[in-house]
Amino acid sequence: MKKLIEVRNLNIAYAGPSGWTNVVQDVSFEIARGEAFGLVGESGCGKSTVAYRLLGYGTINSFVQTGEVLFDGVDLLKLGPASLTRLRGNRIALVPQNPTTSLSPGMRVGPQIREMIATHKALPDDTTMERRIVELFALVGLPDVGHRYPHELSGGQQQRVTIAMAVACNPDLLVLDEPTTGLDVTTQRQIIQLLSDLRARIGMAMLYVTHDLALLAQIADRVGVMYAGQLVEVAASDKLLSAPAHPYSRGLIASIPTMDGTDRQTRGLRGVLRRDQMSTGCKFEPRCDFATTACRTTPQALELIADARSVACMRWRDAATQQLPAVVAGPHGRTAARSERLLSVADLSLSYQRPSIVDKFLGRTTHSVVRDIDLELRAGEVVALVGESGSGKSTIARAISGRLPPRSGAITLEDGPLSPALDGRSAEHLRQIQYIFQNPDASLNPRSSIRSILERPLKHFGIPADGKTLETVLESVGLHAGYLDRIPDQLSGGERQRIAIARALLVNPKLLICDEILSALDVSVQARIVELLRSLKEKHDVAMLFISHDLAVVQQLADRVAVLYHGELMQMSETASLLTAPLHPYTEMLLEAAPSLRKDGHVSRPPATPTLKATPGIGCPFAGRCPRQPGSLCADTRPPIQETGSGFVRCHLPIDGLGRHARSPQHMRSPAVEDMRLQSL
Amino acid sequence: MSVARLLFSRILFSALTLLLVSILIFLILEALPGDVATRILGRDATAKALEVLRSQLHLNQPALVRYFQWIGDFLRGDLGVSIATGRPIADVLAPRILNTLLLSLLAFAIYLVLALVPAIIQAVNRGKAVDNVISVITLLLLSLPDFLLATMLLFLFAVAVPILPALATISETSTWQETLRAMVLPAVTLAIMMAVYAIRVLRDSLIEVLRSDYVRLAELKGLRPRAVLFRHALPNAIVPALNVTALNLGFLIGGVVIVERVFSYPGFGTLLIDALQLRDIPLIKATVMISAAVYVAANLVADVLAVLLQPRLRTSR
Amino acid sequence: MTMTTSSLPSRFAWLDKGFWQTTPGPFRVGAIILIAHVLFAIAGAFWTPYGFAEMGAGLPLSGASLQHPMGLDQIGRDVFSRFMYGAHIVLLLSFAGTVLGMVAGTTLGLLSGYIGGWFDEITQRIVEAMISIPFLALALVMIIAAGPALAGEPVLIVFVVALVYAPRIARIARAAAMEIATREYVAVAELRGEGTWSIVFREILLNAANVLLVEFSLRLSYAPILIGALGFLGFGIRPPTPEWGLMISENRNLLIASPVTVFGPGLGLASLVIGFNLFTDGLSRMLGQRSVAGA
Repeated sequence: MKKLIEVRNLNIAYAGPSGWTNVVQDVSFEIARGEAFGLVGESGCGKSTVAYRLLGYGTINSFVQTGEVLFDGVDLLKLGPASLTRLRGNRIALVPQNPTTSLSPGMRVGPQIREMIATHKALPDDTTMERRIVELFALVGLPDVGHRYPHELSGGQQQRVTIAMAVACNPDLLVLDEPTTGLDVTTQRQIIQLLSDLRARIGMAMLYVTHDLALLAQIADRVGVMYAGQLVEVAASDKLLSAPAHPYSRGLIASIPTMDGTDRQTRGLRGVLRRDQMSTGCKFEPRCDFATTACRTTPQALELIADARSVACMRWRDAATQQLPAVVAGPHGRTAARSERLLSVADLSLSYQRPSIVDKFLGRTTHSVVRDIDLELRAGEVVALVGESGSGKSTIARAISGRLPPRSGAITLEDGPLSPALDGRSAEHLRQIQYIFQNPDASLNPRSSIRSILERPLKHFGIPADGKTLETVLESVGLHAGYLDRIPDQLSGGERQRIAIARALLVNPKLLICDEILSALDVSVQARIVELLRSLKEKHDVAMLFISHDLAVVQQLADRVAVLYHGELMQMSETASLLTAPLHPYTEMLLEAAPSLRKDGHVSRPPATPTLKATPGIGCPFAGRCPRQPGSLCADTRPPIQETGSGFVRCHLPIDGLGRHARSPQHMRSPAVEDMRLQSL
Repeated sequence: MSVARLLFSRILFSALTLLLVSILIFLILEALPGDVATRILGRDATAKALEVLRSQLHLNQPALVRYFQWIGDFLRGDLGVSIATGRPIADVLAPRILNTLLLSLLAFAIYLVLALVPAIIQAVNRGKAVDNVISVITLLLLSLPDFLLATMLLFLFAVAVPILPALATISETSTWQETLRAMVLPAVTLAIMMAVYAIRVLRDSLIEVLRSDYVRLAELKGLRPRAVLFRHALPNAIVPALNVTALNLGFLIGGVVIVERVFSYPGFGTLLIDALQLRDIPLIKATVMISAAVYVAANLVADVLAVLLQPRLRTSR
Repeated sequence: MTMTTSSLPSRFAWLDKGFWQTTPGPFRVGAIILIAHVLFAIAGAFWTPYGFAEMGAGLPLSGASLQHPMGLDQIGRDVFSRFMYGAHIVLLLSFAGTVLGMVAGTTLGLLSGYIGGWFDEITQRIVEAMISIPFLALALVMIIAAGPALAGEPVLIVFVVALVYAPRIARIARAAAMEIATREYVAVAELRGEGTWSIVFREILLNAANVLLVEFSLRLSYAPILIGALGFLGFGIRPPTPEWGLMISENRNLLIASPVTVFGPGLGLASLVIGFNLFTDGLSRMLGQRSVAGA
């Protein structure tokens, strides 16, 4: 294969308050014409820095010490601004990480594509500009949205626009910087599908930067694993995923929660990437299970170990053969929850808008975000609430916690009713329900020490404590007393989340509400927090309402799962049976979209009747997107609740018909048109 | 929310604000404890003079009645009669407002150039020597009290190098050249005072926008630097500067008081000072109300412009 | 268990010896200028070459000389002595007025931003109305309204500065409080059932401190100009007490004969404001805040 672009011995340093830091060290790789190369690593490993250099771009405070980036034999790092301008967008194009902030907010999206084609004079001879733009939109599965502003499009649509823009001049190389981070699983899969499709049609090469190995399994031919600025392993993606050689790659793969149900015989990563704790030898040494004293002092470089495969580890052979005792146990540590009911939610409907006086007078009803929720938690049980963003998961949690008084419905804790509003609840009720938030950066007061953060709830609820109380709780979340005198800024994201969990546990709650508490963390950290929650569940006998969009994590933790779509419960089931027999078409779709570690060639099934729109509050909210709906019945009739062995399904299709062709190979090759939830001007 | 509805609600809020302003002014000037007539005439005034003034200002009526009388007349365009001169306030105000309007327009034109050019130069060359030099100059100018800057400019261009008149006295008989020459120094002073704030805000916001994802994408699309700056960066960076410009108009009204005083320019500002010195309460109330109205209107315009420049605001608010 | 709050390493970082080296240049220059001004003001409060109101210290209207570095005014008072004596007056008035405005504005703003609802709606409308009156006009109107008995009193000037500043500070504090109120640690405190005052002071105030500190510094920078402008227009401190703005206006007739008599006090005033501005600039950079301009 002919090399399209080659990176040689790239060394990049950043200027910081304490002098220069090396962020990229001796990185070399090449990408052939038409090849898809993936670059993977935890946040802060330098992968994006490398990627942007492929466009000849660096921030002002970064500095290339040595190295070359050869594109068609020309060193991009030595090119002047004018020549770079000619290459960028034209022959090397970027798909940015965050489409919402990357599209110019004051300009309609059509002109944003047009200016790119015009600048590079890349309009094919046989067409007009208008036609070309519509053609590009069609290529990425969008109708003509050229006259819309970016904020009028959904996240997935915005990303399609940036992709259309990137391929507008038929580039040779596409640099993709985490293009699906922040999108829902199903949208994520559609974008991946679109990219593979485009690659097949246009034949361009790709550099795909991500922290998500499972995604690379779907799209990349070869993968480079980066750690602390160095490439530690380069291999074909199937080889890497089935038999990783470097201990870091092994750990990274082991940290990914999957739903194949197999107990993997490896364990996740310890610690986090900290550039202030680097040994002079192998950078990974402080976190490596196979490290020897020699590792601490001997720097490691990439070595060819097999055909097209290289590793930077002198102990890779040992690492590949030696099996460590698995820490991960089966999916359920303790399934039998006690039978007494802890929390029950009946007929809950929620809305953020209070009906105004005018509305009340006219008898108008405002739209509820969440409708008719019935939910029950038994003592000590973990129930997961799953759904895409905007499905109302957190809204339900807010209502249970008392921060959003419901429009209708009742919430009962044990046998007494809970007051709908926070100020009506007794201190005892407040103590019994503890809430852990998504973002650990924001849930701890940055101006308080960990000690006062933990002491405050004890004082407030008048819980007696002695010198050991705080130490004990810190130990139970895997930290030590040394943390008490630190402030949140000195802690990593994972450590902060542990403090938030400790704060909740301190007051002996009966119910923990965990609101997406893993989504802001790196995969390796996620895996360890899941482990922690599992052990807490056993030791502390506390029930959890676990809110997540990630079915793989849910599988490891939850006893039962509730699936939410657009504010309505679609299905409620025991975890095991939900995963093996999803029944509801939406659950099915979610399960199929979650990427596995093997290339699965998944193509999302198009909706049966895309134009169908459900009558709000009456029809099935999934109508219009459902691949299996029987007809217009779904849109205007309320779907019945059908009891199943371990819960219920809300669907018009008869229960024995559901799940029958759950894995039908109806994979059609057409860019699925995302439902156009366009806001009106 | 549509632009029309937005505009309507903003106008409504502006009207409400002005209503509150009128209440505040009335409270401060006429409803504070103590005798208004004594405050106007001083403690040495004769009982007869006080009585005459009381009846002239209807001070014997309750405050609430007086307030509604005043605001009702005001809304109908009757601004009342000046105590000091006995002339209708509208007649006193009109020529002064016209003069100040001329001065402000000239000052505003100079301001636009003085604010935009240095800020763009700074943002494009951020971190370089030019940026630092302009930063130091703006900081120094920012620290000069307006009355001092006016006096310095007067000293430089009317005393040391006498190319412009020291006093900006104009009358109906002045030719437009004379008027323009007279207005240069006060207008430049006002423009500098406003520009130093705007430069800092515009520079910072432009730098922030230049660091944004969409400007980076525009660069990586291979657009020419000029297109990136003028098509993608500037329209988005200008919004915070717009708000400062609206604030600046408020400042302009205050600055006018000082600058007109230094250059003896017969405008709205000198009239306010005269009214204050003579304790001509009806005139004070009218001038302050008008200056508040100008400020509120300027903010209204800035808000609407911001919405037009940022389509995002049309739906999210 | 001892329930004492432990010392926080980062909160007292400014006590470190190495701290001074890490501060931005403007902060250092500003601090030096301000220290010089404070020392000058303290000296001037106790000793001046001539009495500040002493007439006939020399030949009236004679220009600058070694005995009279800033010359003499129309009634033969030594301008430098007046300038020196005025220093502490300007500093004290600025400081007192800003602190008072800060306390009132912060309390109102934080409460209104956190509580929201009708309380916020009403305070905001009043704040908005007060800001809509150009600040100089508002200050002058309040001085007139105070009547002849209070006119020229330092207390009045302090109150006027505070009243002009309070709504502007309240607006900043409100915005900060609204932003902080959305943070999850505030939600955690609410879920625990903490009261409003506890949340405002325990969770919000300290986290708004950076914004408020920069705002304080910014307002303090402008206070001497505002007080000077009042003096310049003849509505400030009652003569013969020397206030710099008043002195500039008194001696404006000497602009041709003896410019230093006008510009001496003027540049003194400007250098004080430069010191404050540099200090603010450095402070906002250190605290990662942007100082918002606009009087």
